[in-house]
Amino acid sequence: MRTVNPHRPGRRRYDWGAYLYLVPAFAFYLVFLLRPVLESVWISLFEWNGITASTWVGTQNLVDVLTSTEIWRAVGHSLVFIVFYAVIPTVLALVFIGVISRFRVRGLAFFRAALFVPYILSTVVVAIAWRWIFAEGGPLNAVLRGVGLGGFARAWLGDFDTALPSVGVIGTWVMFGLAFVLFVSGLQSIPGDLFEAARIDGAGPVREFFAVTLPGLRGEIQVALVLMITAALRNFDIVWNTTSGGPGTSTTVPSYYIYREAFVTHHVGRASAIAVMLTVIIFVAVGLTMRLTRDPEAGDR
Amino acid sequence: MHPQRRFGVMAIGAAAAAALALAGCSAPGGSSETASDSASTSDQITAPVTADQVAGLGDTTLSVWADQGEQDFMEALIPAYEAKYPNVTVDIQYKSFNDLMATVLNAMNSSDAPDVTQGNQGWATDGALVSAGLLRPLDDVAAAYDYESAAGDSITQLQWSSDGAQFGTGSIYGMSPDNQMVGIFYNKTKLAALGLDVPRTLADLDAALKAAKAAGETPLVLGNSDKASAMQALSLIQGALTPAADTRAWITGAEGATFDVPSNGEAIDHLAGWVADGLVSPGYDGTSPDDAAAAFAGGEGVFFIGGNWYAGTIADGSQFGFTAGLKDGDYASSGSFGLPWHVSAKSDATIAALAFVGMVNSADTASTLASVNRVPIHAVDAGQPGSIFPDLLTASAEQLDNGGPLYWYDWATDTMFDTFTSGLQSVLAGQSSSSELLKQIQDDWTTFHTK
Repeated sequence: MRTVNPHRPGRRRYDWGAYLYLVPAFAFYLVFLLRPVLESVWISLFEWNGITASTWVGTQNLVDVLTSTEIWRAVGHSLVFIVFYAVIPTVLALVFIGVISRFRVRGLAFFRAALFVPYILSTVVVAIAWRWIFAEGGPLNAVLRGVGLGGFARAWLGDFDTALPSVGVIGTWVMFGLAFVLFVSGLQSIPGDLFEAARIDGAGPVREFFAVTLPGLRGEIQVALVLMITAALRNFDIVWNTTSGGPGTSTTVPSYYIYREAFVTHHVGRASAIAVMLTVIIFVAVGLTMRLTRDPEAGDR
Repeated sequence: MHPQRRFGVMAIGAAAAAALALAGCSAPGGSSETASDSASTSDQITAPVTADQVAGLGDTTLSVWADQGEQDFMEALIPAYEAKYPNVTVDIQYKSFNDLMATVLNAMNSSDAPDVTQGNQGWATDGALVSAGLLRPLDDVAAAYDYESAAGDSITQLQWSSDGAQFGTGSIYGMSPDNQMVGIFYNKTKLAALGLDVPRTLADLDAALKAAKAAGETPLVLGNSDKASAMQALSLIQGALTPAADTRAWITGAEGATFDVPSNGEAIDHLAGWVADGLVSPGYDGTSPDDAAAAFAGGEGVFFIGGNWYAGTIADGSQFGFTAGLKDGDYASSGSFGLPWHVSAKSDATIAALAFVGMVNSADTASTLASVNRVPIHAVDAGQPGSIFPDLLTASAEQLDNGGPLYWYDWATDTMFDTFTSGLQSVLAGQSSSSELLKQIQDDWTTFHTK
């Protein structure tokens, strides 16, 4: 609990007029965000093909979705993607940051731009490029065969055991640049004298990283994780354009089923129910991330 | 509670209430029933539409939606149409297949629906369009343009009961001028080098694949990253082992039909055996069918099982040939006519729309279709020598005159594509058994038809 400001005389008077300035933005938010979300919740209570009259089914769609093994398997794949889309890029980028905070890197601006390119490329382009890299006759297998590891060569996206991590690697490649760019800008905002003080006190590179760099990047790490975890959970484009959920169901994700139910099989109610479930999962994941990366000294925010 | 917080809670509550009010809280889709028949009966035709009939509309724009694969054909056809019916301007929009399937229902349901559109056979698109009363029945057009006789038994793929509840029976709701079928592409040079004839039975094909393997060739080139191509390859074997009529009855939802029969299990096991014996190109699940076809056209492998539309890629008739399914099953394999053309029940230019769909599907247009290397269902003179196209015409005629196309397994229910293709990938990779797959497929079918 925060102590009440002693200078404030009881209840503060509100200047309600100020809220009028929020009305235009709020109306926009209401019509284009809140209303569609609530409408999805509403539609999830019906069986509807998108055209003809709908039938009220209550929570049946949601119950079906929550008891469907294929949907939960897809959620499991999304959790694996969180490792590839969020955890690995964050750790890798932090290692890079640890290095460049210690040494002067020539042409940092170039590397920063080059590493960020994957993130701004169209995901369809990324997917097609990686489909080629992972293909049976693609460059990855050529390299493996070239160094005598031909036994590992395979169609990476077409193998039940390797398709999921292969799609994950694409995510790592895309997200690494985002994490790196955020952390570099965070690093530049850490006062130089903190590093200097640490070095005068005799801290080694590891100690300096954990005592100065990591705490200094807390805000950036939080932002990066929220962006990347959200991207992992709502991943659709890369999966759709590389494996379409296959082989079998080894790379399905919830968004794949939302698309399929809404636009292919026309079960709009069920699609909405999956969407509602995915939204709740994303909210929970983001909430957990915010809580776990919270600054312990900042108190209740 | 902190006053600012309380205000926040109130704001969210108010916003939610307002948004719900905006959403209107009525059942989506409403309960509108479209009465379509009254308007269309007055426009019944008994002979091909004449320019005079259409002239009565005055200056008219005919709005048409088509798959982008139609572009070559349409660019040849539309000028002819506009010349014959000079008061009509055709406004055509091309869509990618996925885009068309995702939007056609809502577009046809909207107040400015296109007059003519392409749909797709099966429950998810055509079935939904018919059940919503959005299509004008085309029985009169099919009769007037001699379409019904050209289509033969395969007309059932375009028929629906008027409530859209039964497939394969009732009125004709769409018409499509070309035959798209799965068959065997073979490399003539390599077949000759192996001393083999073109295989016409399953036993011949097995022997040819084994001989190719023994000679160090890739026997069968497959790309299945789209998941559908292995299912199409299966159809060749399944068509040879199970009567085509049984399969079609199951696909169109005949009462009591089942896919879970021993011969279908044999077919799946047979294909899985090819994979296990190394007769299929490695990494097929990670290769796109287009890449596989291109590799085959570039000289890799001896056989490629695929749709006749790959003739655009595998075009050289001096090196490659194409043949219909296997004699064991009267040349049955997956196939159907192309995406059907429909006329909107709401069209305010119905007679012009009928003239358009009629012209697309008329015998006179067959040569135009053949000129863009598509296989018309109407008889047409064989194309230029040196191309693979004459083989396509022969194969199409052979199939339509014998067992007929099997249609596509995934038409059977709206979720069958995933059930069938994902399950087949699992069986071929040795992850599950054919009996499990047959059970999944039949469960999907039973669930759909008891709903």
